[in-house]
Amino acid sequence: MELQAVLMAAGGGSRMMDLTYNTRKPLLPVGNKPLIWYPLNLLERVGFEEVIVITTKEVQKMISTDPKMKLDVKMKLDIVCIQEDADMGTADALRHIQQKIKTDILVVSCDLITDAALHEVVDLFRAHNATLSMLMSKAHEFTETVPGQKGKKKTGEQRDFVGVDGTGKRLLFMANEADLDKGLVIRKSIMRKLPRMHIKTGLVDAHLYCLKKSVVDFLADNKSVSSIRGELVPYLVRKQFSKSMTSPNVNDEADQKLKKKDGNANLEIQILSRDEVLLQLTRERSCWNDHRGDMSEAYHGVRLRCYVHIMDEGMCYRVNTLAAYIEANRLAPKLFDEPAVHPSAAISVRCLIGADSIIGASCQISDKASIKRSMIGASTTVREKVKVTNSIIMHGVTIEEGCNIQGSVICSNTVIGRGADIKYCLVGSAQRIEPEGAFWKTPSRLSCAFY
Amino acid sequence: MSSRGGKQKKGNVTSEQEEEEQPLQAVLVADSFNRRFFPISKDQPRALLPLGNVAMIDYTLEFLTSTGVQETFVFCCWMSNKIKDHLLKSKWCRPTSPNVVHIITSDLYRSLGDVLRDVDAKNLVRNDFILVYGDVVSNIDVSQALQEHRHRRKVDKNISVMTMVFKESSPGHKSRCEEDDVIVAMDSKSKRFSMGTDEFEIRHDLLDCHISICSPQVAELFTDNFDYQTRNDFVRGILVNEEILGNQIHLYVTQDGYGARVSNLQMYDSVSSDMVRRWVYPLTPEANFTDQQGQGCTHSRHNVYRGAEVSLGHGSQMEENVLIGRDTSIGANCHISNSVIGNNCTIGDNVVLDRAHMWNNVHISSNVEIHQSVVCDGAVVKEAVHLNKQCVLAYNVVIGPNLSLPDGTVVSMHHPEEEEEDDDDEFLSDDQEVGHSKDKTRQKAFNPAEVGPEGKGYIWKASMNDTEDEELAQCLWGLVLNPDPESDSESEASEESQDRTFQLEVLGTLQRGLEENIVCDNLVLEINSLKYAYNITLKEVMQILTRVVLEYPFQQQGTQLTTLQYTGSLLPLLKTWSPVFKNYIKRAQDHLDCLSAVEELFLEQDTHQTAMVKVLMKMYQLEILEEEAILKWFSTGATNDKSRQLRKNQGKQRMSLQRKESEEDESSEEGE
Repeated sequence: MELQAVLMAAGGGSRMMDLTYNTRKPLLPVGNKPLIWYPLNLLERVGFEEVIVITTKEVQKMISTDPKMKLDVKMKLDIVCIQEDADMGTADALRHIQQKIKTDILVVSCDLITDAALHEVVDLFRAHNATLSMLMSKAHEFTETVPGQKGKKKTGEQRDFVGVDGTGKRLLFMANEADLDKGLVIRKSIMRKLPRMHIKTGLVDAHLYCLKKSVVDFLADNKSVSSIRGELVPYLVRKQFSKSMTSPNVNDEADQKLKKKDGNANLEIQILSRDEVLLQLTRERSCWNDHRGDMSEAYHGVRLRCYVHIMDEGMCYRVNTLAAYIEANRLAPKLFDEPAVHPSAAISVRCLIGADSIIGASCQISDKASIKRSMIGASTTVREKVKVTNSIIMHGVTIEEGCNIQGSVICSNTVIGRGADIKYCLVGSAQRIEPEGAFWKTPSRLSCAFY
Repeated sequence: MSSRGGKQKKGNVTSEQEEEEQPLQAVLVADSFNRRFFPISKDQPRALLPLGNVAMIDYTLEFLTSTGVQETFVFCCWMSNKIKDHLLKSKWCRPTSPNVVHIITSDLYRSLGDVLRDVDAKNLVRNDFILVYGDVVSNIDVSQALQEHRHRRKVDKNISVMTMVFKESSPGHKSRCEEDDVIVAMDSKSKRFSMGTDEFEIRHDLLDCHISICSPQVAELFTDNFDYQTRNDFVRGILVNEEILGNQIHLYVTQDGYGARVSNLQMYDSVSSDMVRRWVYPLTPEANFTDQQGQGCTHSRHNVYRGAEVSLGHGSQMEENVLIGRDTSIGANCHISNSVIGNNCTIGDNVVLDRAHMWNNVHISSNVEIHQSVVCDGAVVKEAVHLNKQCVLAYNVVIGPNLSLPDGTVVSMHHPEEEEEDDDDEFLSDDQEVGHSKDKTRQKAFNPAEVGPEGKGYIWKASMNDTEDEELAQCLWGLVLNPDPESDSESEASEESQDRTFQLEVLGTLQRGLEENIVCDNLVLEINSLKYAYNITLKEVMQILTRVVLEYPFQQQGTQLTTLQYTGSLLPLLKTWSPVFKNYIKRAQDHLDCLSAVEELFLEQDTHQTAMVKVLMKMYQLEILEEEAILKWFSTGATNDKSRQLRKNQGKQRMSLQRKESEEDESSEEGE
């Protein structure tokens, strides 16, 4: 086994609390499948047979019991539960499962929906014997109106500056705008080694990482690192060019033992990808080099290397905000070719269902209903003369006659009274909307009123 | 440009095309405005120094002519007569020359800025022009860059003011000048100097050829802003004010071609060897592009060039990359490699030359060895002299016999002090008027230890009275820059120093408070404002304050204090400043922090550990520290062996004192 896959599915979805109040993030329905299905499917497609899923007890219970959450994957899922209230970061979680990790790992976040060619990332990892390789994509503009938000919200998040080398593969630099109070500082020693650096902004980190096993061992020794994205990745990127990583005597066995004794020093050493002897020899004998110009050896003797694959096209979403959730719902059906209407759904002949809508299992759609560009979850009942446009209706919702729902998100088990008019709203789960109620896009979070 | 002819025939001549019809102009600055080539350039302006036996300015003019320049303004300042004479004799001033050369001289030019302001004042340029120095050697075809520049100016009216020509060359390439190590942030698509767009590129693999294509506005902008002295000032000014003035600077990057400015001897050495190795083709030594009589030479394999009438003694070898000028005779059994030898030189027997640059009329006696050195016109090297690396023998110097010059020796007929006398007018140019002080020079005797028994010349040293920025300029061979230390903890270091400055400030405040008898409340105010100024947390304030106060006696009376003296001077201080302490030490945690700061200090000052009890006692009496806090601190585990020992030593005495004072039996029992 070359790579072990690890799926991080314990996140709370803190940036879309409205949705995750009742349903945990990994179980949010996207295109009538739980969100967690997408990364699992991604892994299955590329041929993984086993995945370690790190999640909470609650999610595990739901997955194993609730038929609606059934994951139709053939892979063997090794589910590891962590305490929900332990406030563990992703790196903490990796440390937690260190015993299980025997090889290099591929870490995926549960909120990733992408059609990226995973082999690109893994190939970089293989070809350069990298310590880290990751996936990034151009950021997408969200086009849909977000319920409960007034106007188009500017993405308040700060930009990330990502520096790659001339080929666009090697990751040299990473900084957040927030940390750049003194302007962009790049060390000249890096510039001397790799004289061309492209600085890019407007990229989304897909939170998909290939990591060497030694990195996990490093995490085990270094308890202060708690998040992969926040701490580990910037640390690795920075470490590429620090002196201890390039000094030639690190492969000196005696030296290594010495360093192991004095506490902190060994933490850095262990993260080194120890090139095998043969590999080293190959590199020495080969005329191949990763750079031009100076006459130094390939990679300038840097033993810790980080690479990034930046997707030019294709879709890559991280469902961590409401806007992304809506966007993902709109695009997800394109990812898999299953019938838009589930065979078990009972659909009246005289209703109108747009081609871009999905209808879940055992739904009931009555006469003269019109459904466009929407997702209807399992066991949902839609009565006569209901119009649903641009909306997400989760499981077990009942929509009474003559309702008009537009651009909204209706969470599970809600009952919407007859003739209600709901536009650009977010309705929480298990609510009852009074008949003839009219809810228009309100400045405040309308959904909160229903909890 | 390409469609020029066709359109004209159609009679479709717009005003813009008319502009293009005007001859391409160039401004050549034949003065370096610095002293990097001193003392060589005391006798000859830099532009006329021979490189591959051809004056440097000829390369520049040939480059300009070959790119299609039809009118060149040569600006010279000092030694303008020499440059003028040279140009008038050269092919550029023949009536057949395709490039009309105008020579403009003035003693008033002090910088590139002055030259361009004069260009503006005299209204010399009418269109885009090429700005270049008289020491640029290049074969880059700038017509492509020119076309791009014109296109940009046509598309966005007059936004782009300058296009700088860069050549790709990786860091560490020998034609890169260490002092001119540029890092460029550019927009890869529009080839513009910029940062801040979504995507840009930072490049360190570019070599500034010092060739720039300028719009006529450049001259005006120099006139508008008298702060612009050099091109760097200008570029910086334009980029900083880009948003206000809307001017942009673009760059043109070429992969092939050669372009370099001979800005110091290191560059001279590398450009000269590149020339011999034919990197600047078609400007090669045998091409005789200056079209002068007798300059021709033959080119044979291993890049060996021989001028006319060269005689080579028996057993002498010209290994590779050797250029020998006409009428030069070389003795027997010489080894010559990677060297340039000028006209009319005589070289004795058994001479070894490697990377030597010998100009005209040089006499080398037998058994001489020269490595990577420059020997100027008329110099004489007597027998058995050994020139180590980076030596310079300026004009008419005589060296030897039987002498070895150490690395980097510069020998000149000019006495170094001579320069100081000339410095009075603060005229910082290469091309400075040399006072006719020959009589004076003669009076000073040559030092045989320096130049040999028959030697003539003075060791040239960097003059001592120069200001710090001149330090760079004195080194003929350019800088040897140390690579920046690759530290990981840059930010930590700066934080550390913040703490340090804060500590000094607090010390100053307290000192002043003591001297001027300032009320403690005001001291607190001052410390508080310092806290905000240096962004120090409350905890750190307390620790630093404690530290400063406890170190105060050492500060004032030196570290040789006995423990008794120390406590004697410290205890009254504690009393005076107790309100300050009380202001900062309020919560239980504060007490502990304060105690740990005290502990830390006494761990460092281990000779005074016994004083700690007294200090704590005093602090307790002054009600700075509460008893419970002290006891708690004492009972909590010590962080390391040393502190444990300290506590052990102190513990018993302290406890007994405590008992006497506090008269509370139960608390002392707790402590035990």
